[in-house]
Amino acid sequence: MSSTSTATALSRQRIVELNDLLNETLAELDKADLFEESTLLATSLSALTAGHTEALSRHDLLNYYTSACGYAEILLEELDDTAHISLQTGLTNLVTAIRELSETPEGVAKANSSYKLEPITTTVGSILVVDDQSDNRTVLERLLSRVGHTVYTADSGEAALDQLTRHPIDIVLLDLSMPGMGGKTALTKIKADPKLRSIPVIVISGHQDLDSVVECITLGADDYLFKPFNSVLLHARIAAGLDRKQWHDRELNYLHQLEQRERFIRATFGRYLTDEIVADILEKPEGLRLGGDLKEITILMADIRGFTQLCSQMPPEQVVSLLNGYLGTMTEIIMRHNGTIDEFLGDAILAVFGAPKDDPNHAQSAVACSVEMQQAVAAVNRQHRTANLPQISTGIAINTGTVVAGNIGSDRRAKYGFVGTPMNVTSRIEDLCEANEILISDATKQALRNGDRLYDKGTHSLKGIDQPVRIFGVKWQN
Amino acid sequence: MSTKLLLVEDNELNRDMLTRRLIRKGFEVVTAEDGLEALEKMRQYHPDVVLMDLNLPILSGWEACKIAANDPDLADIPMLALTAHALEKELKKALDAGCKDYATKPIDFPVLLRKIAGLLNP
Repeated sequence: MSSTSTATALSRQRIVELNDLLNETLAELDKADLFEESTLLATSLSALTAGHTEALSRHDLLNYYTSACGYAEILLEELDDTAHISLQTGLTNLVTAIRELSETPEGVAKANSSYKLEPITTTVGSILVVDDQSDNRTVLERLLSRVGHTVYTADSGEAALDQLTRHPIDIVLLDLSMPGMGGKTALTKIKADPKLRSIPVIVISGHQDLDSVVECITLGADDYLFKPFNSVLLHARIAAGLDRKQWHDRELNYLHQLEQRERFIRATFGRYLTDEIVADILEKPEGLRLGGDLKEITILMADIRGFTQLCSQMPPEQVVSLLNGYLGTMTEIIMRHNGTIDEFLGDAILAVFGAPKDDPNHAQSAVACSVEMQQAVAAVNRQHRTANLPQISTGIAINTGTVVAGNIGSDRRAKYGFVGTPMNVTSRIEDLCEANEILISDATKQALRNGDRLYDKGTHSLKGIDQPVRIFGVKWQN
Repeated sequence: MSTKLLLVEDNELNRDMLTRRLIRKGFEVVTAEDGLEALEKMRQYHPDVVLMDLNLPILSGWEACKIAANDPDLADIPMLALTAHALEKELKKALDAGCKDYATKPIDFPVLLRKIAGLLNP
Protein backbone atom coordinates (compact mmCIF):
# COMPACT_ATOMS: atom_id res chain seq x y z
CA MET A 1 0.00 0.00 0.00
CA SER A 2 1.45 3.37 -0.95
CA SER A 3 1.70 6.19 1.53
CA THR A 4 -1.03 8.20 -0.16
CA SER A 5 -3.50 5.35 0.01
CA THR A 6 -2.64 4.90 3.69
CA ALA A 7 -3.40 8.55 4.18
CA THR A 8 -6.63 8.10 2.25
CA ALA A 9 -7.63 5.14 4.35
CA LEU A 10 -6.85 7.07 7.53
CA SER A 11 -8.93 10.01 6.39
CA ARG A 12 -11.78 7.68 5.58
CA GLN A 13 -11.49 6.09 8.96
CA ARG A 14 -11.89 9.54 10.49
CA ILE A 15 -15.04 10.14 8.50
CA VAL A 16 -16.51 6.88 9.72
CA GLU A 17 -15.63 7.70 13.33
CA LEU A 18 -17.12 11.12 13.09
CA ASN A 19 -20.34 9.74 11.70
CA ASP A 20 -20.59 7.44 14.72
CA LEU A 21 -19.92 10.38 17.01
CA LEU A 22 -22.62 12.36 15.22
CA ASN A 23 -25.08 9.54 15.71
CA GLU A 24 -24.30 9.47 19.40
CA THR A 25 -24.57 13.22 19.83
CA LEU A 26 -27.64 13.72 17.67
CA ALA A 27 -30.06 14.08 20.56
CA GLU A 28 -27.92 16.85 22.05
CA LEU A 29 -27.44 18.49 18.68
CA ASP A 30 -31.20 18.43 18.34
CA LYS A 31 -31.51 20.40 21.57
CA ALA A 32 -28.93 22.90 20.31
CA ASP A 33 -31.17 23.39 17.25
CA LEU A 34 -28.52 21.89 15.02
CA PHE A 35 -30.51 18.82 14.15
CA GLU A 36 -30.92 19.68 10.50
CA GLU A 37 -27.31 20.56 9.90
CA SER A 38 -26.04 17.46 11.66
CA THR A 39 -28.43 15.21 9.77
CA LEU A 40 -27.40 16.80 6.51
CA LEU A 41 -23.77 16.37 7.44
CA ALA A 42 -24.44 12.70 8.13
CA THR A 43 -26.17 12.43 4.75
CA SER A 44 -23.15 13.95 3.02
CA LEU A 45 -20.82 11.62 4.88
CA SER A 46 -22.94 8.63 3.99
CA ALA A 47 -22.84 9.61 0.36
CA LEU A 48 -19.06 9.87 0.59
CA THR A 49 -18.45 6.46 2.06
CA ALA A 50 -21.44 4.36 1.10
CA GLY A 51 -20.94 1.49 -1.29
CA HIS A 52 -22.27 3.35 -4.29
CA THR A 53 -19.55 6.00 -4.03
CA GLU A 54 -17.45 4.17 -6.56
CA ALA A 55 -19.99 5.13 -9.15
CA LEU A 56 -19.75 8.83 -8.28
CA SER A 57 -17.99 11.11 -10.69
CA ARG A 58 -15.16 13.31 -9.52
CA HIS A 59 -17.56 16.22 -9.78
CA ASP A 60 -20.16 14.59 -7.50
CA LEU A 61 -17.53 13.46 -5.06
CA LEU A 62 -16.18 16.99 -4.73
CA ASN A 63 -19.73 18.21 -4.22
CA TYR A 64 -20.17 15.87 -1.27
CA TYR A 65 -16.79 16.90 0.14
CA THR A 66 -17.94 20.49 -0.14
CA SER A 67 -21.29 19.95 1.54
CA ALA A 68 -19.78 17.79 4.31
CA CYS A 69 -17.12 20.42 4.98
CA GLY A 70 -19.67 23.20 4.95
CA TYR A 71 -22.10 21.54 7.35
CA ALA A 72 -19.23 20.58 9.65
CA GLU A 73 -18.08 24.20 9.69
CA ILE A 74 -21.60 25.41 10.50
CA LEU A 75 -21.68 23.00 13.47
CA LEU A 76 -18.25 24.18 14.57
CA GLU A 77 -19.40 27.78 14.47
CA GLU A 78 -22.53 27.09 16.49
CA LEU A 79 -21.48 24.50 19.04
CA ASP A 80 -21.00 25.53 22.60
CA ASP A 81 -17.25 25.64 23.17
CA THR A 82 -17.20 23.59 26.32
CA ALA A 83 -20.11 21.20 25.95
CA HIS A 84 -19.09 19.19 22.92
CA ILE A 85 -15.35 18.96 22.97
CA SER A 86 -15.11 15.50 21.44
CA LEU A 87 -17.54 16.38 18.70
CA GLN A 88 -15.66 19.59 17.97
CA THR A 89 -12.40 17.69 17.73
CA GLY A 90 -14.14 15.19 15.45
CA LEU A 91 -15.50 17.93 13.24
CA THR A 92 -12.15 19.68 13.00
CA ASN A 93 -10.52 16.39 12.12
CA LEU A 94 -13.21 15.79 9.54
CA VAL A 95 -12.64 19.10 7.82
CA THR A 96 -8.92 18.37 7.72
CA ALA A 97 -9.54 14.84 6.49
CA ILE A 98 -11.80 16.01 3.71
CA ARG A 99 -9.38 18.67 2.59
CA GLU A 100 -6.63 16.07 2.51
CA LEU A 101 -8.80 13.63 0.62
CA SER A 102 -9.89 16.15 -1.96
CA GLU A 103 -6.25 16.86 -2.69
CA THR A 104 -5.09 13.26 -3.12
CA PRO A 105 -5.69 11.79 -6.54
CA GLU A 106 -7.18 8.67 -4.96
CA GLY A 107 -9.50 10.63 -2.77
CA VAL A 108 -11.24 12.05 -5.77
CA ALA A 109 -10.69 9.13 -8.07
CA LYS A 110 -12.31 6.28 -6.26
CA ALA A 111 -13.75 5.85 -2.83
CA ASN A 112 -13.06 2.84 -0.73
CA SER A 113 -16.18 0.87 -0.11
CA SER A 114 -14.75 -1.07 2.80
CA TYR A 115 -15.93 1.55 5.25
CA LYS A 116 -19.66 1.67 5.13
CA LEU A 117 -21.62 4.07 7.24
CA GLU A 118 -24.95 3.47 8.78
CA PRO A 119 -26.79 6.46 7.39
CA ILE A 120 -28.93 8.35 9.87
CA THR A 121 -31.34 8.80 7.05
CA THR A 122 -30.68 8.85 3.36
CA THR A 123 -34.04 7.88 1.99
CA VAL A 124 -37.23 9.75 2.61
CA GLY A 125 -40.78 8.57 2.38
CA SER A 126 -44.38 9.21 3.35
CA ILE A 127 -45.05 8.55 7.00
CA LEU A 128 -48.36 8.39 8.76
CA VAL A 129 -48.19 9.45 12.41
CA VAL A 130 -51.10 8.11 14.45
CA ASP A 131 -51.43 9.52 17.95
CA ASP A 132 -54.39 10.97 19.82
CA GLN A 133 -52.27 13.61 21.55
CA SER A 134 -51.64 16.60 19.37
CA ASP A 135 -48.35 17.43 21.14
CA ASN A 136 -46.94 14.04 20.26
CA ARG A 137 -48.11 14.40 16.69
CA THR A 138 -46.50 17.80 16.37
CA VAL A 139 -43.16 16.64 17.77
CA LEU A 140 -43.05 13.63 15.46
CA GLU A 141 -44.20 15.64 12.49
CA ARG A 142 -41.48 18.20 13.06
CA LEU A 143 -38.75 15.61 13.61
CA LEU A 144 -39.70 13.69 10.50
CA SER A 145 -40.41 16.50 8.11
CA ARG A 146 -37.11 18.16 9.03
CA VAL A 147 -35.23 15.30 7.42
CA GLY A 148 -37.39 15.42 4.36
CA HIS A 149 -40.14 12.88 5.03
CA THR A 150 -43.67 13.71 3.98
CA VAL A 151 -45.79 13.44 7.11
CA TYR A 152 -49.50 12.72 7.41
CA THR A 153 -51.23 12.58 10.77
CA ALA A 154 -54.25 10.89 12.28
CA ASP A 155 -55.68 11.17 15.80
CA SER A 156 -57.44 7.82 15.94
CA GLY A 157 -57.51 4.36 14.44
CA GLU A 158 -60.44 5.28 12.21
CA ALA A 159 -58.67 8.41 10.95
CA ALA A 160 -55.53 6.33 10.32
CA LEU A 161 -57.40 3.86 8.11
CA ASP A 162 -58.98 6.77 6.30
CA GLN A 163 -55.59 8.41 5.66
CA LEU A 164 -54.22 5.11 4.41
CA THR A 165 -56.84 4.97 1.69
CA ARG A 166 -56.15 8.57 0.68
CA HIS A 167 -52.35 8.70 0.53
CA PRO A 168 -49.57 6.38 -0.59
CA ILE A 169 -48.04 5.73 2.84
CA ASP A 170 -44.64 4.06 3.28
CA ILE A 171 -44.61 3.64 7.05
CA VAL A 172 -47.14 3.93 9.85
CA LEU A 173 -46.06 5.12 13.29
CA LEU A 174 -48.86 3.87 15.50
CA ASP A 175 -49.58 4.84 19.08
CA LEU A 176 -51.25 2.01 20.98
CA SER A 177 -53.48 3.73 23.49
CA MET A 178 -56.04 5.92 21.82
CA PRO A 179 -59.71 6.50 22.52
CA GLY A 180 -62.11 5.05 19.96
CA MET A 181 -60.43 2.57 17.69
CA GLY A 182 -57.17 1.78 19.47
CA GLY A 183 -53.80 0.98 17.98
CA LYS A 184 -54.20 -2.79 18.22
CA THR A 185 -57.50 -2.78 16.35
CA ALA A 186 -56.10 -0.46 13.69
CA LEU A 187 -53.03 -2.70 13.36
CA THR A 188 -55.23 -5.79 12.97
CA LYS A 189 -57.28 -4.06 10.29
CA ILE A 190 -54.19 -2.87 8.40
CA LYS A 191 -52.67 -6.34 8.40
CA ALA A 192 -55.96 -7.90 7.29
CA ASP A 193 -56.26 -5.62 4.27
CA PRO A 194 -54.40 -7.05 1.25
CA LYS A 195 -53.76 -3.54 -0.07
CA LEU A 196 -52.29 -2.21 3.18
CA ARG A 197 -50.68 -5.34 4.59
CA SER A 198 -47.24 -4.61 3.17
CA ILE A 199 -46.92 -1.19 4.81
CA PRO A 200 -44.53 -1.48 7.76
CA VAL A 201 -46.11 -0.49 11.07
CA ILE A 202 -43.92 0.77 13.90
CA VAL A 203 -45.76 0.61 17.17
CA ILE A 204 -45.19 3.35 19.72
CA SER A 205 -45.93 2.23 23.22
CA GLY A 206 -46.36 4.76 25.98
CA HIS A 207 -45.32 2.41 28.75
CA GLN A 208 -42.35 0.10 28.67
CA ASP A 209 -44.83 -2.67 28.33
CA LEU A 210 -43.10 -5.55 26.67
CA ASP A 211 -46.24 -7.69 26.70
CA SER A 212 -48.23 -5.36 24.48
CA VAL A 213 -45.24 -4.98 22.16
CA VAL A 214 -45.00 -8.75 21.86
CA GLU A 215 -48.72 -8.89 21.19
CA CYS A 216 -48.40 -6.27 18.45
CA ILE A 217 -45.53 -8.10 16.79
CA THR A 218 -47.73 -11.19 16.77
CA LEU A 219 -50.47 -9.10 15.19
CA GLY A 220 -48.06 -8.14 12.41
CA ALA A 221 -46.27 -5.00 13.64
CA ASP A 222 -42.83 -4.65 12.08
CA ASP A 223 -41.03 -2.75 14.80
CA TYR A 224 -41.62 -0.83 18.00
CA LEU A 225 -40.43 2.23 19.90
CA PHE A 226 -40.94 3.19 23.50
CA LYS A 227 -41.99 6.65 24.57
CA PRO A 228 -40.25 9.00 25.18
CA PHE A 229 -38.31 7.94 22.13
CA ASN A 230 -34.77 8.66 21.23
CA SER A 231 -34.66 10.52 17.91
CA VAL A 232 -31.67 8.56 16.63
CA LEU A 233 -33.52 5.33 17.25
CA LEU A 234 -36.61 6.76 15.60
CA HIS A 235 -34.72 7.69 12.46
CA ALA A 236 -32.89 4.38 12.37
CA ARG A 237 -36.14 2.42 12.64
CA ILE A 238 -37.77 4.56 9.99
CA ALA A 239 -34.81 4.08 7.66
CA ALA A 240 -35.01 0.33 8.18
CA GLY A 241 -38.77 0.35 7.58
CA LEU A 242 -38.42 2.42 4.44
CA ASP A 243 -35.78 0.06 3.19
CA ARG A 244 -38.08 -2.89 3.77
CA LYS A 245 -40.93 -1.14 2.04
CA GLN A 246 -38.78 -0.26 -0.95
CA TRP A 247 -37.62 -3.83 -1.39
CA HIS A 248 -41.16 -4.98 -1.06
CA ASP A 249 -42.37 -2.44 -3.64
CA ARG A 250 -39.59 -3.46 -5.99
CA GLU A 251 -40.55 -7.09 -5.61
CA LEU A 252 -44.21 -6.28 -6.18
CA ASN A 253 -43.33 -4.28 -9.23
CA TYR A 254 -41.29 -7.17 -10.56
CA LEU A 255 -44.08 -9.62 -9.88
CA HIS A 256 -46.49 -7.27 -11.56
CA GLN A 257 -44.30 -7.17 -14.66
CA LEU A 258 -44.09 -10.94 -14.70
CA GLU A 259 -47.84 -11.23 -14.35
CA GLN A 260 -48.36 -8.77 -17.15
CA ARG A 261 -46.06 -10.77 -19.36
CA GLU A 262 -47.80 -13.96 -18.51
CA ARG A 263 -51.17 -12.36 -19.11
CA PHE A 264 -49.95 -11.11 -22.45
CA ILE A 265 -48.74 -14.57 -23.45
CA ARG A 266 -51.98 -16.12 -22.30
CA ALA A 267 -54.03 -13.52 -24.14
CA THR A 268 -51.97 -13.95 -27.27
CA PHE A 269 -51.89 -17.72 -27.37
CA GLY A 270 -54.86 -18.60 -25.21
CA ARG A 271 -57.28 -17.92 -28.01
CA TYR A 272 -55.64 -20.52 -30.19
CA LEU A 273 -54.12 -23.03 -27.81
CA THR A 274 -55.50 -25.04 -24.98
CA ASP A 275 -54.64 -23.91 -21.46
CA GLU A 276 -52.41 -26.94 -21.14
CA ILE A 277 -50.22 -25.87 -24.02
CA VAL A 278 -50.01 -22.27 -22.86
CA ALA A 279 -48.96 -23.47 -19.43
CA ASP A 280 -46.41 -25.71 -21.09
CA ILE A 281 -44.95 -22.84 -23.10
CA LEU A 282 -44.87 -20.56 -20.05
CA GLU A 283 -43.03 -23.17 -18.06
CA LYS A 284 -40.49 -23.87 -20.77
CA PRO A 285 -39.77 -20.59 -22.53
CA GLU A 286 -36.86 -22.24 -24.33
CA GLY A 287 -39.58 -24.01 -26.29
CA LEU A 288 -40.19 -20.66 -27.96
CA ARG A 289 -36.96 -20.83 -29.93
CA LEU A 290 -37.28 -20.64 -33.66
CA GLY A 291 -37.11 -23.96 -35.40
CA GLY A 292 -39.17 -27.07 -35.56
CA ASP A 293 -39.53 -30.79 -35.49
CA LEU A 294 -40.88 -33.23 -38.01
CA LYS A 295 -44.16 -34.46 -36.64
CA GLU A 296 -47.00 -36.63 -37.81
CA ILE A 297 -50.20 -34.75 -37.24
CA THR A 298 -53.76 -34.65 -38.45
CA ILE A 299 -54.92 -31.43 -40.03
CA LEU A 300 -58.50 -30.22 -40.01
CA MET A 301 -59.86 -27.44 -42.18
CA ALA A 302 -63.39 -26.17 -41.93
CA ASP A 303 -65.16 -23.35 -43.68
CA ILE A 304 -68.65 -22.05 -44.19
CA ARG A 305 -70.01 -22.86 -47.61
CA GLY A 306 -71.27 -19.85 -49.50
CA PHE A 307 -70.05 -17.44 -46.87
CA THR A 308 -69.54 -14.62 -49.34
CA GLN A 309 -73.14 -14.91 -50.46
CA LEU A 310 -74.24 -14.95 -46.83
CA CYS A 311 -72.33 -11.72 -46.22
CA SER A 312 -74.14 -9.91 -48.99
CA GLN A 313 -77.52 -10.86 -47.50
CA MET A 314 -76.88 -9.52 -44.00
CA PRO A 315 -75.77 -6.24 -42.40
CA PRO A 316 -72.04 -6.40 -41.51
CA GLU A 317 -72.51 -6.32 -37.73
CA GLN A 318 -74.84 -9.29 -37.98
CA VAL A 319 -72.25 -11.14 -40.09
CA VAL A 320 -69.61 -10.46 -37.46
CA SER A 321 -71.81 -11.60 -34.61
CA LEU A 322 -72.81 -14.73 -36.53
CA LEU A 323 -69.20 -15.50 -37.36
CA ASN A 324 -68.06 -14.95 -33.78
CA GLY A 325 -70.77 -17.25 -32.49
CA TYR A 326 -69.81 -19.90 -35.02
CA LEU A 327 -66.05 -19.66 -34.45
CA GLY A 328 -66.53 -19.61 -30.68
CA THR A 329 -68.55 -22.82 -30.77
CA MET A 330 -66.05 -24.49 -33.09
CA THR A 331 -63.05 -23.41 -31.00
CA GLU A 332 -64.57 -24.92 -27.92
CA ILE A 333 -65.16 -28.24 -29.67
CA ILE A 334 -61.65 -28.33 -31.16
CA MET A 335 -60.02 -27.61 -27.82
CA ARG A 336 -62.12 -30.27 -26.15
CA HIS A 337 -60.61 -32.75 -28.60
CA ASN A 338 -57.07 -31.55 -27.84
CA GLY A 339 -56.77 -29.78 -31.15
CA THR A 340 -54.75 -26.62 -31.64
CA ILE A 341 -56.15 -23.82 -33.72
CA ASP A 342 -53.42 -22.68 -36.03
CA GLU A 343 -55.33 -19.97 -37.78
CA PHE A 344 -58.67 -18.36 -38.49
CA LEU A 345 -58.93 -17.04 -42.02
CA GLY A 346 -62.20 -15.23 -42.30
CA ASP A 347 -64.73 -17.98 -41.86
CA ALA A 348 -62.14 -20.75 -42.29
CA ILE A 349 -60.56 -22.62 -39.40
CA LEU A 350 -57.24 -24.43 -39.58
CA ALA A 351 -56.67 -26.78 -36.67
CA VAL A 352 -54.15 -29.51 -35.99
CA PHE A 353 -54.17 -32.57 -33.78
CA GLY A 354 -51.02 -34.16 -32.38
CA ALA A 355 -48.97 -30.96 -32.01
CA PRO A 356 -47.59 -29.16 -30.13
CA LYS A 357 -48.86 -31.67 -27.60
CA ASP A 358 -48.43 -35.31 -28.58
CA ASP A 359 -51.60 -37.26 -29.18
CA PRO A 360 -51.13 -40.80 -30.52
CA ASN A 361 -54.79 -40.82 -31.54
CA HIS A 362 -54.62 -37.56 -33.50
CA ALA A 363 -56.54 -38.93 -36.50
CA GLN A 364 -59.24 -40.36 -34.25
CA SER A 365 -59.49 -37.07 -32.35
CA ALA A 366 -59.76 -35.03 -35.53
CA VAL A 367 -62.53 -37.16 -37.01
CA ALA A 368 -64.47 -37.24 -33.73
CA CYS A 369 -64.05 -33.50 -33.55
CA SER A 370 -65.33 -32.96 -37.08
CA VAL A 371 -68.44 -35.03 -36.37
CA GLU A 372 -69.18 -32.97 -33.30
CA MET A 373 -68.57 -29.75 -35.26
CA GLN A 374 -71.09 -30.72 -37.91
CA GLN A 375 -73.61 -31.67 -35.25
CA ALA A 376 -73.07 -28.30 -33.57
CA VAL A 377 -73.67 -26.49 -36.86
CA ALA A 378 -76.90 -28.40 -37.25
CA ALA A 379 -77.93 -27.29 -33.78
CA VAL A 380 -77.04 -23.69 -34.61
CA ASN A 381 -79.17 -23.91 -37.73
CA ARG A 382 -82.16 -25.09 -35.72
CA GLN A 383 -81.79 -21.93 -33.59
CA HIS A 384 -81.36 -19.79 -36.70
CA ARG A 385 -84.57 -21.16 -38.14
CA THR A 386 -86.56 -20.01 -35.12
CA ALA A 387 -84.77 -16.65 -35.11
CA ASN A 388 -85.35 -16.27 -38.82
CA LEU A 389 -81.64 -16.08 -39.54
CA PRO A 390 -79.91 -17.56 -42.59
CA GLN A 391 -78.78 -21.18 -42.45
CA ILE A 392 -75.08 -21.95 -42.52
CA SER A 393 -73.37 -25.07 -43.71
CA THR A 394 -69.82 -26.20 -43.20
CA GLY A 395 -67.46 -28.39 -45.15
CA ILE A 396 -64.64 -30.09 -43.22
CA ALA A 397 -61.51 -31.64 -44.71
CA ILE A 398 -59.10 -33.85 -42.75
CA ASN A 399 -55.66 -35.12 -43.72
CA THR A 400 -52.82 -36.83 -41.90
CA GLY A 401 -49.13 -36.50 -42.66
CA THR A 402 -45.69 -35.46 -41.51
CA VAL A 403 -45.05 -31.72 -41.30
CA VAL A 404 -42.52 -29.38 -39.78
CA ALA A 405 -44.05 -28.13 -36.55
CA GLY A 406 -42.47 -25.29 -34.62
CA ASN A 407 -41.88 -21.59 -34.31
CA ILE A 408 -41.73 -20.28 -37.81
CA GLY A 409 -40.88 -16.76 -38.81
CA SER A 410 -38.28 -14.19 -37.82
CA ASP A 411 -37.12 -13.10 -34.37
CA ARG A 412 -39.51 -10.18 -34.51
CA ARG A 413 -42.53 -12.04 -35.61
CA ALA A 414 -42.84 -15.75 -35.14
CA LYS A 415 -45.72 -18.08 -34.53
CA TYR A 416 -46.13 -21.70 -33.75
CA GLY A 417 -47.10 -23.15 -37.09
CA PHE A 418 -46.89 -26.02 -39.50
CA VAL A 419 -45.31 -26.34 -42.91
CA GLY A 420 -45.46 -29.20 -45.40
CA THR A 421 -47.32 -30.76 -48.30
CA PRO A 422 -49.97 -32.36 -46.05
CA MET A 423 -51.13 -28.82 -45.24
CA ASN A 424 -51.66 -28.03 -48.92
CA VAL A 425 -53.33 -31.39 -49.53
CA THR A 426 -55.84 -30.62 -46.79
CA SER A 427 -56.64 -27.31 -48.39
CA ARG A 428 -57.25 -29.04 -51.75
CA ILE A 429 -59.53 -31.62 -50.17
CA GLU A 430 -61.43 -28.76 -48.55
CA ASP A 431 -62.07 -27.41 -52.07
CA LEU A 432 -63.83 -30.70 -52.90
CA CYS A 433 -66.11 -30.53 -49.86
CA GLU A 434 -69.75 -29.92 -50.35
CA ALA A 435 -72.12 -28.45 -47.78
CA ASN A 436 -72.37 -30.42 -44.53
CA GLU A 437 -69.70 -32.86 -45.69
CA ILE A 438 -66.66 -34.30 -43.91
CA LEU A 439 -63.94 -35.57 -46.22
CA ILE A 440 -60.82 -37.39 -45.09
CA SER A 441 -57.75 -38.55 -47.01
CA ASP A 442 -56.59 -42.11 -47.32
CA ALA A 443 -53.70 -41.26 -44.98
CA THR A 444 -56.13 -40.34 -42.24
CA LYS A 445 -58.17 -43.48 -42.92
CA GLN A 446 -54.98 -45.54 -42.44
CA ALA A 447 -54.34 -43.85 -39.11
CA LEU A 448 -57.85 -44.53 -37.85
CA ARG A 449 -58.44 -47.64 -35.83
CA ASN A 450 -61.85 -48.20 -37.32
CA GLY A 451 -63.46 -47.04 -40.50
CA ASP A 452 -67.09 -47.76 -39.60
CA ARG A 453 -68.66 -44.56 -40.75
CA LEU A 454 -66.59 -44.06 -43.89
CA TYR A 455 -67.74 -44.13 -47.47
CA ASP A 456 -65.50 -44.10 -50.53
CA LYS A 457 -65.44 -40.88 -52.58
CA GLY A 458 -62.95 -42.16 -55.15
CA THR A 459 -59.47 -41.04 -56.18
CA HIS A 460 -58.90 -37.42 -57.09
CA SER A 461 -55.97 -35.63 -58.60
CA LEU A 462 -55.49 -32.43 -56.70
CA LYS A 463 -54.14 -29.21 -58.10
CA GLY A 464 -50.43 -28.80 -57.39
CA ILE A 465 -50.14 -32.27 -55.80
CA ASP A 466 -48.22 -34.97 -57.69
CA GLN A 467 -49.96 -38.12 -56.47
CA PRO A 468 -53.70 -38.58 -56.80
CA VAL A 469 -55.38 -38.88 -53.40
CA ARG A 470 -58.11 -41.28 -52.41
CA ILE A 471 -60.86 -39.57 -50.48
CA PHE A 472 -63.42 -40.90 -48.03
CA GLY A 473 -66.52 -39.29 -46.63
CA VAL A 474 -67.55 -39.50 -42.97
CA LYS A 475 -71.17 -40.13 -42.06
CA TRP A 476 -71.98 -37.85 -39.16
CA GLN A 477 -75.77 -37.61 -39.04
CA ASN A 478 -77.29 -40.04 -36.58
CA MET B 1 -30.87 46.47 2.18
CA SER B 2 -29.00 43.20 2.28
CA THR B 3 -26.85 41.94 -0.54
CA LYS B 4 -28.69 39.62 -2.90
CA LEU B 5 -26.84 36.54 -4.14
CA LEU B 6 -27.92 34.08 -6.79
CA LEU B 7 -26.51 30.64 -6.03
CA VAL B 8 -26.57 28.29 -9.01
CA GLU B 9 -25.81 24.72 -7.96
CA ASP B 10 -27.39 21.44 -9.04
CA ASN B 11 -26.19 19.40 -6.08
CA GLU B 12 -28.94 19.63 -3.49
CA LEU B 13 -26.77 19.23 -0.41
CA ASN B 14 -24.28 21.80 -1.58
CA ARG B 15 -27.01 24.22 -2.50
CA ASP B 16 -28.61 23.81 0.90
CA MET B 17 -25.33 24.05 2.78
CA LEU B 18 -24.09 27.17 1.00
CA THR B 19 -27.52 28.80 1.26
CA ARG B 20 -27.55 28.21 5.02
CA ARG B 21 -24.04 29.53 5.46
CA LEU B 22 -24.63 32.61 3.31
CA ILE B 23 -27.92 33.43 5.02
CA ARG B 24 -26.15 33.16 8.37
CA LYS B 25 -23.72 35.78 7.09
CA GLY B 26 -26.62 38.11 6.34
CA PHE B 27 -26.97 37.62 2.60
CA GLU B 28 -30.26 37.29 0.84
CA VAL B 29 -29.98 34.11 -1.25
CA VAL B 30 -31.88 33.12 -4.36
CA THR B 31 -31.10 29.71 -5.85
CA ALA B 32 -31.22 28.04 -9.24
CA GLU B 33 -30.53 24.43 -10.20
CA ASP B 34 -29.48 24.72 -13.81
CA GLY B 35 -28.09 27.23 -16.28
CA LEU B 36 -31.44 28.07 -17.78
CA GLU B 37 -33.04 28.72 -14.42
CA ALA B 38 -29.99 30.81 -13.52
CA LEU B 39 -30.60 33.14 -16.48
CA GLU B 40 -34.29 33.41 -15.59
CA LYS B 41 -33.52 34.26 -11.97
CA MET B 42 -30.88 36.80 -13.05
CA ARG B 43 -33.48 38.58 -15.15
CA GLN B 44 -36.09 38.32 -12.43
CA TYR B 45 -34.05 39.32 -9.37
CA HIS B 46 -31.03 41.08 -10.79
CA PRO B 47 -28.76 39.79 -7.99
CA ASP B 48 -25.66 41.65 -6.79
CA VAL B 49 -23.42 38.62 -7.35
CA VAL B 50 -23.95 35.25 -9.01
CA LEU B 51 -22.20 32.16 -7.62
CA MET B 52 -22.26 29.70 -10.48
CA ASP B 53 -21.38 26.02 -10.48
CA LEU B 54 -20.09 25.29 -13.97
CA ASN B 55 -21.10 21.68 -14.39
CA LEU B 56 -24.86 22.09 -14.64
CA PRO B 57 -27.65 20.19 -16.35
CA ILE B 58 -29.81 21.56 -19.18
CA LEU B 59 -27.56 24.55 -19.80
CA SER B 60 -24.02 24.41 -18.45
CA GLY B 61 -22.60 27.12 -16.21
CA TRP B 62 -20.12 28.11 -18.92
CA GLU B 63 -22.89 28.60 -21.46
CA ALA B 64 -25.06 30.48 -18.97
CA CYS B 65 -22.13 32.78 -18.08
CA LYS B 66 -21.40 33.45 -21.75
CA ILE B 67 -25.04 34.30 -22.44
CA ALA B 68 -25.26 36.57 -19.36
CA ALA B 69 -21.98 38.33 -20.19
CA ASN B 70 -23.28 39.14 -23.66
CA ASP B 71 -26.73 40.27 -22.55
CA PRO B 72 -26.76 44.07 -22.01
CA ASP B 73 -29.30 43.67 -19.15
CA LEU B 74 -27.18 41.14 -17.29
CA ALA B 75 -23.61 41.98 -18.26
CA ASP B 76 -23.12 44.19 -15.20
CA ILE B 77 -23.85 41.37 -12.72
CA PRO B 78 -20.53 39.99 -11.47
CA MET B 79 -20.30 36.21 -11.66
CA LEU B 80 -18.10 33.95 -9.57
CA ALA B 81 -17.47 30.40 -10.79
CA LEU B 82 -17.70 27.52 -8.33
CA THR B 83 -15.52 24.89 -9.87
CA ALA B 84 -14.45 21.41 -8.99
CA HIS B 85 -11.34 21.86 -11.08
CA ALA B 86 -8.33 23.72 -9.81
CA LEU B 87 -6.69 23.26 -13.19
CA GLU B 88 -5.32 26.32 -14.92
CA LYS B 89 -7.15 25.40 -18.13
CA GLU B 90 -10.52 25.09 -16.40
CA LEU B 91 -10.10 28.35 -14.56
CA LYS B 92 -9.19 30.13 -17.76
CA LYS B 93 -12.28 28.68 -19.39
CA ALA B 94 -14.41 30.11 -16.55
CA LEU B 95 -12.82 33.53 -16.84
CA ASP B 96 -13.21 33.43 -20.62
CA ALA B 97 -16.91 32.69 -20.21
CA GLY B 98 -17.27 35.98 -18.36
CA CYS B 99 -16.72 35.07 -14.71
CA LYS B 100 -14.86 37.69 -12.71
CA ASP B 101 -13.47 35.23 -10.17
CA TYR B 102 -13.66 31.61 -9.04
CA ALA B 103 -13.65 29.39 -5.97
CA THR B 104 -12.65 25.75 -6.04
CA LYS B 105 -14.46 22.91 -4.32
CA PRO B 106 -14.41 21.99 -1.49
CA ILE B 107 -15.27 25.62 -0.89
CA ASP B 108 -13.11 27.46 1.61
CA PHE B 109 -15.88 29.62 3.05
CA PRO B 110 -13.81 32.54 4.39
CA VAL B 111 -12.06 32.75 1.03
CA LEU B 112 -15.43 32.69 -0.74
CA LEU B 113 -16.70 35.52 1.48
CA ARG B 114 -13.61 37.61 0.68
CA LYS B 115 -14.09 37.02 -3.02
CA ILE B 116 -17.76 38.02 -2.83
CA ALA B 117 -16.78 41.18 -0.99
CA GLY B 118 -14.16 41.86 -3.67
CA LEU B 119 -16.80 41.63 -6.39
CA LEU B 120 -19.20 43.89 -4.50
CA ASN B 121 -16.58 46.60 -3.97
CA PRO B 122 -14.17 46.38 -6.84
